[in-house]
Amino acid sequence: MPIKSPFFARTSALCNSMNWKEWAGYYAVSSYGTLHDPEYFAFRYSAGLLDITPLFKYRVKGPDAAAFLSRIMVKNIHKLGVGRVSYCCWCTDAGKVIDDGTVMRRAENEFFVTSADPGYSWFSRFLRGYDVVLEEISEEVAGLALQGPTSRDILKQICDADLNNLKFFSTVKARADGFEIYVSRTGYTGDLGYEIWVENEHAITLWDAIMSAGKNYDIRPAGLDALDVTRVEAGLILKDVDYFNALYALIDDRMSSPYELSLGWTVNLDRDPFNGQASLKAEKENGSKWAIVGLDIDWPQLESLYAKHGLPPEIGSHAWRSSVPVYISADKKYQTGYATSGTWSPILKKNIALATVEKKYENIGNELRIEMTVEHKRYTVPAIISKPQFFNPERKTSNPNSQSDE
Amino acid sequence: MSEKYDIVVIGGGHNGLITATTLARKNKRVLVLEKRSILGGIAAGEEFYPGYRSVGLLHDTSQVRSKIIKELDLEKFGLQFKNSRPTYSLLSKNGECVHLDPNIAKAANEIAKFSQHDADSYREYHEFIGKISDFICGLMDNAPPDLMELGGKQIWELAKKGISLKKLGKKTMMELLKVAPMSVADFLNEKFETDFIKAGIAAPSIYGSYTGPWSSYTTLNLLVWECAANQSIVGGPQALIAAVENAARDAGVDIQTGAEVERILLDRDRKVIGVKLLDGEEITTEVVATSCTPTTTFFNLLEPNQIDYSLEHGIQHYRSRGTTAKVNLAVNKERYFNGEFAEFVRTGNSFDEMERAFDSVKYREFSNEPILDIHIPTIGDPSLAPTGHHVISILVHFAPHYFDEGWSETTKNSLYDHVIKTLEQYCSEISSTLVGFELQSPVDLEERYGLTNGHIFHGEHAVDQLITRPIPSCSRYKTPIQGLYLCGSGSHPGGGITGMPGYLGAKMVLENI
Amino acid sequence: MSKKYDAIIIGGGHNGLVCAAYLAKAGRKVLVLERRHVLGGAAVSEEMYPGFTFSVASYVVSLFRPHIIRDLELAKHGYEVIPMDCSFLPLPNGDSLARWSDPQRSRREIARFSRKDSEIYPEFGKVMTHMGKLAKAVIDYPAPDITSIKPKELSNLLRLGRTFKDLGPDLLHLNTKLVTMSALDFLDLWFESETLKAPMAVSGIIGTFQGVRSPGTAYVLLHHYMGQLDGAFRSWGFSKGGTGGISMACARAAESFGAEIRTEAPVQQVLIKKGNAEGVVLENGDEIIAKTVISNLDPNRTYLKMVGEKYLEDDVLKEIKRFKLRGSSGKVNLALDRVPEFSCRPGDGDHIRGDIAIAPSIDYLEKAFDQAKYGEFSTRPYINAVIPTLTDPSLAPPGKHILSCFVQYAPYNIKEGAENWPKYREAFGDTVVDTMAEYIPGLKDSILYRQVLTPWDLEQKMGLTEGNIFHGELSLEQLLFQRPIASYAKYKTSIPKLWMCGSGTHPGGGIMGAGGELCARSMLTSRSI
Repeated sequence: MPIKSPFFARTSALCNSMNWKEWAGYYAVSSYGTLHDPEYFAFRYSAGLLDITPLFKYRVKGPDAAAFLSRIMVKNIHKLGVGRVSYCCWCTDAGKVIDDGTVMRRAENEFFVTSADPGYSWFSRFLRGYDVVLEEISEEVAGLALQGPTSRDILKQICDADLNNLKFFSTVKARADGFEIYVSRTGYTGDLGYEIWVENEHAITLWDAIMSAGKNYDIRPAGLDALDVTRVEAGLILKDVDYFNALYALIDDRMSSPYELSLGWTVNLDRDPFNGQASLKAEKENGSKWAIVGLDIDWPQLESLYAKHGLPPEIGSHAWRSSVPVYISADKKYQTGYATSGTWSPILKKNIALATVEKKYENIGNELRIEMTVEHKRYTVPAIISKPQFFNPERKTSNPNSQSDE
Repeated sequence: MSEKYDIVVIGGGHNGLITATTLARKNKRVLVLEKRSILGGIAAGEEFYPGYRSVGLLHDTSQVRSKIIKELDLEKFGLQFKNSRPTYSLLSKNGECVHLDPNIAKAANEIAKFSQHDADSYREYHEFIGKISDFICGLMDNAPPDLMELGGKQIWELAKKGISLKKLGKKTMMELLKVAPMSVADFLNEKFETDFIKAGIAAPSIYGSYTGPWSSYTTLNLLVWECAANQSIVGGPQALIAAVENAARDAGVDIQTGAEVERILLDRDRKVIGVKLLDGEEITTEVVATSCTPTTTFFNLLEPNQIDYSLEHGIQHYRSRGTTAKVNLAVNKERYFNGEFAEFVRTGNSFDEMERAFDSVKYREFSNEPILDIHIPTIGDPSLAPTGHHVISILVHFAPHYFDEGWSETTKNSLYDHVIKTLEQYCSEISSTLVGFELQSPVDLEERYGLTNGHIFHGEHAVDQLITRPIPSCSRYKTPIQGLYLCGSGSHPGGGITGMPGYLGAKMVLENI
Repeated sequence: MSKKYDAIIIGGGHNGLVCAAYLAKAGRKVLVLERRHVLGGAAVSEEMYPGFTFSVASYVVSLFRPHIIRDLELAKHGYEVIPMDCSFLPLPNGDSLARWSDPQRSRREIARFSRKDSEIYPEFGKVMTHMGKLAKAVIDYPAPDITSIKPKELSNLLRLGRTFKDLGPDLLHLNTKLVTMSALDFLDLWFESETLKAPMAVSGIIGTFQGVRSPGTAYVLLHHYMGQLDGAFRSWGFSKGGTGGISMACARAAESFGAEIRTEAPVQQVLIKKGNAEGVVLENGDEIIAKTVISNLDPNRTYLKMVGEKYLEDDVLKEIKRFKLRGSSGKVNLALDRVPEFSCRPGDGDHIRGDIAIAPSIDYLEKAFDQAKYGEFSTRPYINAVIPTLTDPSLAPPGKHILSCFVQYAPYNIKEGAENWPKYREAFGDTVVDTMAEYIPGLKDSILYRQVLTPWDLEQKMGLTEGNIFHGELSLEQLLFQRPIASYAKYKTSIPKLWMCGSGTHPGGGIMGAGGELCARSMLTSRSI
């Protein structure tokens, strides 16, 4: 039976659609209204407020905190500056990804880590020999994602953080009305946005403050359905959809290395030993089998398939997450991969997907064929390989009065 | 960095010395590093009471492999050995005694004094042992098959093992498959009727195994012991150490005592590049063979991030729960045990008694009436004690390392009292003839000998920890760390004084460098 | 005289009935002879008190093979099994642990005792699923004979070998561990919390004369994970109408295929002529002739009572006498006038609709075992209880309930000798009620009727030698090609035309139906019938 997040009193009052799902053992709103479109447009044109409490949260503290995390993560955490945030993943000995999340360096010897699956047991297996304290604070700390172009202006009104100068993937401790929060400029929408962390007892006050400050900025509470569309547009992969936790995957074929998830940029290979190092070195040398790519699915051809049946294109507004075969040619003779999630992008007016394909087909501009079912019949339509970040606005990384960063 | 060695062997116990000698005789430059000031490890004899010397921790040399004695020419270096095991004497509480002479017929005659049925069974039992002995010794005397790489060659190796099993003949093979998984109590109850004889024969099956006689697979331990116990070294463990040390020096092995290794040094690709001693000295080598316990090797001698998680997990769960304490007694009487001339003595008069002794371990207590594995080394080597006096060496089963009360002088004295009280049931004169004693709890054994959790065999003899000992990825002496080899009792064929892990470890080093 | 029957099956337990159904379905003329007035053997439901139907000897269903349900169309004949949603462990300190089929709910429960364990739980499930593949490869086929070089045996071995090899070295080693380690040592590879390990470990000792620390008990843990392979999340469930419901469904299926079933027809002996089984002699002296005879009884009864020593070769006799059947469990069935309410978690919620374990710590379980080793029943026993009436109200009058307690250890061979068990029966029952009452304060006042079955009673009533519910201990030397004895482990016996189909044959005990099915198949494929 799921439990309630500290924001439940507010979210449940607002959730007119009664459209809920279970997220990591919590009740989570799928969409507040019957249709999620207004929430999506809030993320893109104003600001959406999403309860992200169900993420797992850990505090790692002590003189060896950076060394300990560097041993676990594929990234060299020693190099992460205080106040900076790193997106990274962690691997098994075989270099297969267990989970991904963010590591925030709150102080020289204190880190805050988030993950999608429970990670305490895995992290704690490496405590031997490190002077460090690992604490799970998942149920003590609540989280909100405030995402969208007006999010900075809203957040400025409720806390004292210097948000004009807070850079993309940075974090800062701030004071709200009588309590402390941590603000990080991170998110899962690929837009300007923040994640705000607060002790449970102040959760409701924080929610109210943001919602009230946001009134003039067209803020909306947003659910996971809208988030799902934005994250596909931003090319951000999702565990259990685009890849599986290697600890739980039953067969090797269901495990992926960071390279195979196109996360090779997060891996720092040449340094002290870390989990999966030897396997990842070997893979780097010998090449990977898979890559995750973006697919831009040909709209006119899809439209003409529908037209053949006398129909206008019927593409739902929900992001989908089922496995769809990807071929190299229309004759379906060779399946080179599979799309794992996709959506109609209302802002780009494109039908897009994230797909795992054989490495040799990953080049941008390559044309593959994706299976589409139209009126109970299976067809293929062209799909052009593109960067997974279909939507990547400058505001995501820029700061007022300065050039864009990262 | 000082001079460079082909191989550095960590630990100067019998296995470490045998590894070093075997390698040096193949013209390798070998250095042995021993933490203590004396060589021998668990086989190092020491003065435990003014004028009385112990024979080290273990006292039974019946399982030293003759293959090693021959190959290292140990006889040339002063080793004298007999091609038969010593006589083991089984004592009953009512003063009776059976001497199990290595000559089966003689032993059976002794047993016949109590039960003709048991005497016949004993002959049958040893007939069976005789039939399976080649097979079991074959397993002991060769490196285990490589289960990590089940390729054609390994399948063939396995098939050969299968064929050698079938060579036993269908009947013997079926009997072996039937009895090996059985509890030793069930197995011997089928054959014998006299309780103290059954218990006495069963005794070796529960040494170092975290089981009582009612536990499944204890028969396997007994069969392995029976098949392997076919020597005895004159002068005991110390004579073996002395001979191997001579052989080592003769082969050009450098030996440093008082040299504790702090770290095995690896490069970034996790290849061995040397060792660093506690005093800071660094020694260059590309190959390290360690006779330490697997836990010490991987957890104490390497940095935590130098081993993969699967290795970490495997070693962490390698079971090594020490359950044995050691008592050395200094005594002043000429003859013990009702005047019987008994060199090796076993107590424990019934399976229930043995089982109860084990039960206490489960509750983290020591046995109030422990099972005693007794040796009087002064019968063979009177020089260990003043004239007319004796040393009695006792392995006490069971006293757990995980002990709720904690090991302290008080609890050790309490265990000692229980040992003496138990011993008095077999030997009433013992208290009045005591001169001095030493008792080592599992914690003491851990401290003195570096035995993880005080386990006398560097890890329990359980089925899953035998052939793939200690864990599959290290079961062929090689480890996932390039250049690091295991050569101690934590490797196949396991603990006890056999020398085989050291010898086979060296062979594997030679195969790979 | 023409042989009217192709086969006579001695014993109407579930395996006998499954065997009958398969043979009848293949067109053979089959007669099942049951000694008692009810069918089911150990899987029997009986009205022991007005309005209350007890699953007398067994209590839950675990491994009944799904393909048997399909083959015999058991659903059509009334097979209804409702999966259990929860495993509940009340603790003496007022706390409790409930493990649910909802993984997040279980995680939160377990995390109260160990956060690490709560997260490793699914990893363990994954490994066990792999192990389960192997177990399935073993239980769904006759045991391969490793000593034989016949092509068929070799190909059987190869099939098994491939399954092994596909596991890879790590899982292969784990498999060795699983087969040889104690349940507790095996669980120690993953978990740290005793509160989690104790109730998990007991699945390794049910029906055995072993403790959770005894080597060889780990592999029984597998049975909990086998259901996943059969396409269902949970393998344990309640049978509608009690466990006898399954037997009745098998009986109806057998009859639908034309098998004849007679109750109150006790067999005195197998009729042996010129060394061959020719039929049976009933206790009333009637002789019934058949082409083959199949015994659903345990190996001891089959060889020593139904056949008799004089017909056995020395080797066979020796091996049969070696076969160990030390029963270790008893059963206490209580009729209650209300829902039993646990003080640590009151109410009649879902937590008590699954199985309830009294296994508060490892030491508790080991001490219970220690007493049994020295010939006493446990004064603080391990109890696995169910309240089937919460799931199937038809078993008791409205508002009334049954508390069915499987109790370990109750060694058959108590110090005073098994025949003295009746003297201790009520004391044993009191122990169980007292133990349960520690967790259910109102229990004693709510008892309307109590049925106590000691191992002696199980032997006398059900014909289970030494009260062993599995027809023989599940230790490695009595499994696979050695169950019941090495030379006759394939449902054949040393007497030509006499076969065996009970739990004393491969793959062993539990309400699986596999012995009955595999025996029938072996007979049919070898054209022995």
